[in-house]
Amino acid sequence: MSDREIDLQLVERVREGDKRAFGLLVEKYRRKIIRLLSRMVRDPDDLEDIAQDTFIKAYRALPQFRGDAAFYTWLYRIAVNTAKNHLVSRGKAMRTVSEQAVNDDDEPDERLVAQEIGTPETELLSKQVAIAVNEAVDALPEELRQAITLREMEGMSYEEIAEYMACPIGTVRSRIFRAREAIASKLRPILGTSKDKRW
Amino acid sequence: MNPAHEHDESLSAFLDGELSDQQARSMIRRLGEDAVLRARYAEYCATGDILRGHRHDIPDLTDKIMAALDQEPTLLAPVKKPPNRRPMLWLAAAATAAIAWGLWSTAPRQETAVPLAAATPPSDVVPYLAAHQDYAQSVVTQPEMNYSLVSLSGAAR
Repeated sequence: MSDREIDLQLVERVREGDKRAFGLLVEKYRRKIIRLLSRMVRDPDDLEDIAQDTFIKAYRALPQFRGDAAFYTWLYRIAVNTAKNHLVSRGKAMRTVSEQAVNDDDEPDERLVAQEIGTPETELLSKQVAIAVNEAVDALPEELRQAITLREMEGMSYEEIAEYMACPIGTVRSRIFRAREAIASKLRPILGTSKDKRW
Repeated sequence: MNPAHEHDESLSAFLDGELSDQQARSMIRRLGEDAVLRARYAEYCATGDILRGHRHDIPDLTDKIMAALDQEPTLLAPVKKPPNRRPMLWLAAAATAAIAWGLWSTAPRQETAVPLAAATPPSDVVPYLAAHQDYAQSVVTQPEMNYSLVSLSGAAR
């Protein structure tokens, strides 16, 4: 099942009354939305409010989601509109960013956007996370590092990776999983994710 | 491979869109029921995002959103009604009837052949038939019409 089909399945589950399925969508897209919003607003408090409002509005609007566009494209538009309305209602200006950077559905050009914002605490957390990930990736055996890089950064399918690395698809699946586990184990103490997740 | 480990590897493949439809649906169900698996899911999502450079985050954002959603009514979108099949049924019935009629009307008849002209007509109508055979449709072959022309007075020509 493709990524887009998984999102549609999760949306269907939410429509059937399963709120936890919406939590899975939040978890999947929260960082992308935060990254987008941090280009539009200056105040970290506004950023958090708008991020929350975006997902709550999306939840309320889910019955109208028809699936013509990808879920993230739909969510992206809600985030941009929520941010604009939020800033207008408070008489605040949007950060000087290229309209293209905000309106494009694709990943915007890094040169066109303003620097992301955050509180000193989140900035510190981001740095710690970046260091932990870099260290974890550097410590991976070569075949695991290559597999996870091709998957996460190049977006290649298992079949493509198997062809590139000249190994069976099952081996690719196993290598990617082991790489994820190794990185996640380094991130766990920093991110505070634990096995007793509340939602 | 122990079962938990197997679930985690399946979860990893799920995030990559590499499970079959049935396996993915099963994984979504399990994620709804298993908090440990959801924690793993969150970690794997974070790992991918961070590798792609999406390092900015708001701690506990998902928990805050889910707490806010507790105040929201549960979404129960109206179940899609099946399309009204009645017009389709009528159409199907009409098509079936048309096909049946077509077959019936073009099929060769197995009826008992009634030799219309083979039966010997009563003797008193013979002159009448002979006199009007030119106006009658030819339903019998010429040899079967062995009537001789007669005059109105009954005399043979």
